[in-house]
Amino acid sequence: MLSFLKKHEHWWQFLFAMTAKEIKARYKHAVLGFLWIFLNPLLQMLVIGLVFQFFVPVKVDNYFLFLFSGLLPWIFFSYSLTKCTPAIIFERGLIKKAKFPREAIILSIVLSNFFHFLVALGLFLLILILFGHLSLLRLLLLPVALVWIGLLTSGLSLLTAALNVKYRDINFLVQAVVPLWFYATPIVYTLDLLPDLLQKILYLNPVTAIIEMFRFSLIGLSSTSIDLFFISILVSLVVFLLGCWFFRKENKNFDDWV
Amino acid sequence: MIGFKTYSIIKKSMQKKRKMTPAIEIFNVSKTYVLHHEKPTFLEQIFHGSYREKYTALENISLKIFKGESVGIVGPNGAGKTTLLKIISGITTPTSGQVKVNGRVVSLIDLEAGFNPELIGEENIYLNGLIIGMRREEIRRQFKNIVKFAGIGQFINAPLYTYSQGMKLRLGFSVAIYAKPDILILDENMSFGDKDFRLRSLEMIKNFKLNKKTIVFATHNDLLLKELCQKIYLIKDGNLSKIDSK
Repeated sequence: MLSFLKKHEHWWQFLFAMTAKEIKARYKHAVLGFLWIFLNPLLQMLVIGLVFQFFVPVKVDNYFLFLFSGLLPWIFFSYSLTKCTPAIIFERGLIKKAKFPREAIILSIVLSNFFHFLVALGLFLLILILFGHLSLLRLLLLPVALVWIGLLTSGLSLLTAALNVKYRDINFLVQAVVPLWFYATPIVYTLDLLPDLLQKILYLNPVTAIIEMFRFSLIGLSSTSIDLFFISILVSLVVFLLGCWFFRKENKNFDDWV
Repeated sequence: MIGFKTYSIIKKSMQKKRKMTPAIEIFNVSKTYVLHHEKPTFLEQIFHGSYREKYTALENISLKIFKGESVGIVGPNGAGKTTLLKIISGITTPTSGQVKVNGRVVSLIDLEAGFNPELIGEENIYLNGLIIGMRREEIRRQFKNIVKFAGIGQFINAPLYTYSQGMKLRLGFSVAIYAKPDILILDENMSFGDKDFRLRSLEMIKNFKLNKKTIVFATHNDLLLKELCQKIYLIKDGNLSKIDSK
């Protein structure tokens, strides 16, 4: 039992060290350093916000707030997925030379992006307070949405990263699918703009429900039905378990393939 | 006062009387690699089905290494030495067979694995230590020793890309040694940097032996083999045979 705990302790320490490395190394040479943690999402918000304000005629009050409440979780999800997919191959130097928990490579990328996501979310919450849009009761849903998107992103990233070791096509596939996925998720538009059937299909995309949940908890706007939510949770759960199972199965032989 | 020689004879006889505990046990281990001239794509996979060319690196190998033994592994290039070392250190898993390892294994296959050029020396010591299996408190306790043995001085607060090749090697070796492994894996193409550090490292490795730690050593260097190893095994065409015992 004690040795089991010790093993676990090392796993967490290792994961956090890798995450810290990921965050630190990113800002090491920038003159503005850690300021970029705030500047980056702020600039992104402004640029994307301006673009979509003019090009997408969606009728919601305060399109900026509507957009960001969906965009922030999407950026976390898509950045993590595209960075994680080829990560095992990028770290081949480490894989071939040392024994360590391989999943830490993937999870540290997800966690470091999660850290950035939280910072941006904090900024966004400040803005929401200024606009007086925040409701404490709805905000209780936020942690649920955060955990949900965290698990889905980790699971899917583990799956694509493990697959990409043997089939390098997966990386190209992910690169092609992510932009499409962006438009198949109600980020720049609202769900009720779509015909009924298409709405239901979009709910098979688990990110839809997550973003609706973020939106509801942040700005109180959502067009949802509960049973479709459950389908989404089920899909997320399957993806997560599949990712964990497949990574566990494959990671013993990564050394042979990279 | 008893001389060192008598002391070691007494120690050896004591060791024989004590029940020898195995440090590494390998039963019927085989390792086959799928030969890929190019990575298979999805389409090839579908059309060719499950047929793939295979290459056997190790064939049905069994080996028992006891605690405190120093074992040398020799053999021509490509015979499977590194594969065996990788299986012992857990970097890869055998296709069939079982491996039991007793204690902490640290392999000096590549001393710089896990170093990040952007991070400073101190951060890299922690990262590298965690990668080879140390816990944070352990690294903190050994930190001074690591820095001292590596002899990197004020560079400890400089990013790793400012280090010379020798400094990186010394730092890597230093972390590995102070991880206090029970089993030390040394690969053939290891270099220790300059002559002074080479001597100090060898001294460390010999100390290791005196402290009843297990060493597995793959090399072509006969001198080192004679100096360090009690048993020598030969790997050829994926098969293992014992060739010498002192």
